[in-house]
Amino acid sequence: MGKFLILSRGNALTPGMSPAEMQRIIQKYRDWTEGVARAGRLLGGEKLRADEGRVVRGRQGRPVITDGPYTESKEIVGGFWLIEAASYDEVLGMMKDHPGLEGPGALEVRQIDELGRRD
Amino acid sequence: MTEPSASLPEHLFRHVAGRLVATLTRVVGPARLDLAEEVVQEALVKAVEAWPYQGVPENPAGWLYAVARHRALDRLRREAVLRRKVAALGPLVAEHAPGRPGEHDDQLAMIFLCCHPALSQAGRMALTLKAVGGFGVDEIAAALLTRPAAIAQQLVRAKRRIRARALRFELPAAADLSERLESVLEVLYLLFTEGYQAHQGERLTRAALCEEAVRLGRLLLESPATRRPAVHALLALMLLQSSRLPARTDAAGDVLRLDEQDRSRWSRGAIQEGFEHLERAATGDRVTAYHVEAAIAACHAATVDGGATDWTRVLALYDELLVIKPSPVVALNRALALAMVEGPRAGIRTLGPLTRHRALRGYHLLPAALGALWQRAGDEARAARCYRTAERQAASEPTRRFLAAQAARLRPASRSGRPRGAAGRARPRGPVSRPPAS
Repeated sequence: MGKFLILSRGNALTPGMSPAEMQRIIQKYRDWTEGVARAGRLLGGEKLRADEGRVVRGRQGRPVITDGPYTESKEIVGGFWLIEAASYDEVLGMMKDHPGLEGPGALEVRQIDELGRRD
Repeated sequence: MTEPSASLPEHLFRHVAGRLVATLTRVVGPARLDLAEEVVQEALVKAVEAWPYQGVPENPAGWLYAVARHRALDRLRREAVLRRKVAALGPLVAEHAPGRPGEHDDQLAMIFLCCHPALSQAGRMALTLKAVGGFGVDEIAAALLTRPAAIAQQLVRAKRRIRARALRFELPAAADLSERLESVLEVLYLLFTEGYQAHQGERLTRAALCEEAVRLGRLLLESPATRRPAVHALLALMLLQSSRLPARTDAAGDVLRLDEQDRSRWSRGAIQEGFEHLERAATGDRVTAYHVEAAIAACHAATVDGGATDWTRVLALYDELLVIKPSPVVALNRALALAMVEGPRAGIRTLGPLTRHRALRGYHLLPAALGALWQRAGDEARAARCYRTAERQAASEPTRRFLAAQAARLRPASRSGRPRGAAGRARPRGPVSRPPAS
């Protein structure tokens, strides 16, 4: 069993949504995460703050700090989930009905490399 | 797939939005209703941004209250004129949750503000749905069959009027209460009527309109100040009418006439509650149009077990209603009741003069009613002509389909395979589906 990180990119809300529409969106995400959680595969999830960030680069050994986030707004990571799965195929199967696919953005899946930590 | 426990309470966001907007409006004043709405919207947006990842908090409403309070404090501190109001946000904080004492009063004050007679009727309806009901502009437009831009403009105008007239956020004083309450009931009645007319496409939205009107009626009854017989009467009317909502359209979404409906699908709960409120409505000394209309609705609801409608009583009630509310729509419905008692030609004779009434010009239910009556009278050619006129005037797709089907039944070609379609069958027909004025 491996660990996978699902990043949600560029899925910011369209402005002016009604309360009922917002509740529908939340309900969809809730349905999806509940499904993963019930299968015992959800390790966690967090939202990242959208309005701030720092990018630190080393320049001749000294840190140079700029305000982030570093990417274009349509690529900003809004948040992530950490899940457990046997393979990429299984993760992709779990993502078939992911509500993030209904938005304008994309989901990025990366497997956590556990090299050396497992038998 | 998902267990019920994993669902958010129905309409949670809408209702929390309405309650929070009311509470915040009390703090910042009705002139800053916009600010209250913005703050609440921001809180809801925060939830949509965070909950997908973090999960839904244990107390979702409390979470929203806490975030809204935080946002409100932020805004208040930034505006010098509002800074002294920071302390007034205290109560919102105490529980961080809905159900705070005084919250119900805030909601009532909000309803009275939104339904203030100083606002236009369209403005009152739109603002009530927006600020009290938590509906979005697009949803209001869909429910009221108009464009979002038109609703947005109504809202701007209504808020401008609130500022210009310095309307207050309060329960009206005893001397004004009756008049102000009348204006509130009128808005609820209009919202309900609007929602009750079966229109396809936005059927859910429109059912939500009925539901919202009923909810606000119940809200009024929770307070001793507004627990008046007329409110019971209106709620009785709305409940008795809405009991038929599940049966008013068939599987294809087509409108069914009263006599075609499967009565086992009428909501018995709504009927029973409606009768209870009708009883409580009888305690007053004044008979309002709501009383009479509820009594008429009760005549129909009483047939839930398959009995026949007491048309003589319905007719007598329409006579009474016509005195209280002399409108051509009431006259139209009275003529239909008359036709049930004295035969179709009596109804047609009464409807004749109405066709020249300006208020009914383009109102599809009039030719539709005439069509049904001519059909019963055995004049198929006239009936078909009436149905076609009605079809052209109908505002909604299912109504159009209904009328087209009625007209088609009269043509020989349509006889094949329509179970209930034998042309010109002489059995008595109920009146066509119509607004709750019936």
